Amino acid sequence: MQPAERAAGNIYDLGYRNYEGERLGRPYAFYSLYVHTLRSAFGLGRRTSSKIMPFALAIIAFIPAVIQLGIAALVPTDFDVYKAENYYSYIQTVLVLFCAAVAPELVCRDQANRTLSLYFSRSLKRRDYALARFAGLATALLVLTLGPQALLFTGNVVASSDGLGYLGDNAVDILPIVLSGVAIAVLMGSISLAIASQSSRRAYAAVTIIALFLLAGAIIEVTLNVSDGSLARNMIFLSPLHVMIGMTRWLFDVPMDGELALADRPRASYALAVVVIAGLALWVLDLRYGRIQA
Amino acid sequence: MALVQTQSLTKRYGNITALENLSLELEPGIIGLVGANGAGKSTFLKLLLGLIAPTSGSATLLGFDVATQGPELRQFVGYMPEHDALPVDMTATDFVGHMARISGLPRTSARERTAETLRHVGLFEERYREMRGYSTGMKQRVKLAQALVHDPRLMLLDEPTNGLDPAGRDEMLDLVRRTGREFGIAIIMASHLLGEIERVCDYLVVIDGGRLVQSAPIGDFTGSTHVLAVEVEMGAERLAERLTACGLIVKHEGRMLLVGLEDTRPYDLIRDSIVDLDLALVRVEQRRQSLEDLFRPAEETERAAS
Repeated sequence: MQPAERAAGNIYDLGYRNYEGERLGRPYAFYSLYVHTLRSAFGLGRRTSSKIMPFALAIIAFIPAVIQLGIAALVPTDFDVYKAENYYSYIQTVLVLFCAAVAPELVCRDQANRTLSLYFSRSLKRRDYALARFAGLATALLVLTLGPQALLFTGNVVASSDGLGYLGDNAVDILPIVLSGVAIAVLMGSISLAIASQSSRRAYAAVTIIALFLLAGAIIEVTLNVSDGSLARNMIFLSPLHVMIGMTRWLFDVPMDGELALADRPRASYALAVVVIAGLALWVLDLRYGRIQA
Repeated sequence: MALVQTQSLTKRYGNITALENLSLELEPGIIGLVGANGAGKSTFLKLLLGLIAPTSGSATLLGFDVATQGPELRQFVGYMPEHDALPVDMTATDFVGHMARISGLPRTSARERTAETLRHVGLFEERYREMRGYSTGMKQRVKLAQALVHDPRLMLLDEPTNGLDPAGRDEMLDLVRRTGREFGIAIIMASHLLGEIERVCDYLVVIDGGRLVQSAPIGDFTGSTHVLAVEVEMGAERLAERLTACGLIVKHEGRMLLVGLEDTRPYDLIRDSIVDLDLALVRVEQRRQSLEDLFRPAEETERAAS
């Protein structure tokens, strides 16, 4: 016997009917929340004012790529103002602002409105909720990291005097582009959600996210310029922005610059740091949703 | 198969015991969960949903174990919490549709059922507006709709009439009763208002201070009592004296005389006495126990009965 068998009921024409169709269960619930999260990240399904910030920031993230393509179209020589390996240095502030605008929107509202009890009383587990929210935010971030890179790359191929030659010469960049884009989306997404999930107040969460990324970066910058002790040099791993740029430069196999050069850490250590930091952030996120009252 | 089975379900928060050793078995139907504020009603519902973990004990709903088969079980359960739970920046249609998909309904079915369910709970054009402007009554309807949209086998309603005016209260209770009776959805409804439970439910679970007081069909609570209520136009005093003289126990309650009913003898005695005293009889009725009696202090209940 089916565990859930209903008592027989008469059906009257009241608009309501019993549902005999399929129930897709937990995987579909996860997928639905993921899609919903991705849409909400750009304010889709919300009022117009919710769309302004994410769309504006996304557009700004594309501007360097558009400028480069404009130059390439005007100046026939293969002249790169904006290179793929430097791209995240240009847009890192935009990425931080995007996280600060979007992550609180995704998780703080559910706490403020107490919607979590409606999610947790469905097929989703608490961990599923956290993971679907994270996956949605990371995908939204991919639009800002991989999107401009893809535009830049294909644009260069098309604009180049020797398109196939350019593709051949730069095919080696494709893997670093994809890996760095994904790693940055995972790193920034996990950190911002771990922070945002701690509060039901969106403003607090947004300010904390901005402070963590930008202040940590600024502090390390100052520290490394006044001290070259090993403590100061290892502190660079506490700045997510430095870590992600370091990882990117390692992936593209280009020399470290700025504070990264001053810190002079093993090149691959930044990739390890990305994994460790993202892992910690996801652990905090999971812990939070395991305990949060619903 | 039992709808709900709990075994020594206990929930403690530090030193505070919210629910103590609750073991019961419920069959499908409309079940009222009654108790004062803080008696443990919400805790009990949350334990059944797996929203909180029990300190000890176990629960089975619809044959699924709450602790180990939560995701499977909750495809067939709807929950309407006591508190606000709606995102104010979404429309009712978008939100209920979203919740239908989270419950596992494919996109097309989710859309259809959202429209049907919102109509069923009485939300029409306003369902395309953001919920921030909704009245309490409309919010309660949306909360009910999201609990119902995936056509659950069991709905858990926590104080569904909270914050509603009398008319809204009537409509909500009517909606709950119709949903339970006509669509075969089992319902557990928590309320501290006995009148509501009496109107809607056919089975009653009473808890107090986290302990199970009683669990029985509502008829057992509201059966006839052994008391006859007699009302006459004038001369109630004379009638009371006369009946007492005949050996009956008589008490005054406002304009009514309450007469103990150990056998059928009082009927004839009352009739004869009224004829002899030439009184105008308004009514004679056997007292039905109301749920309120259950919660009166014991001595008061005793007095009313004797």
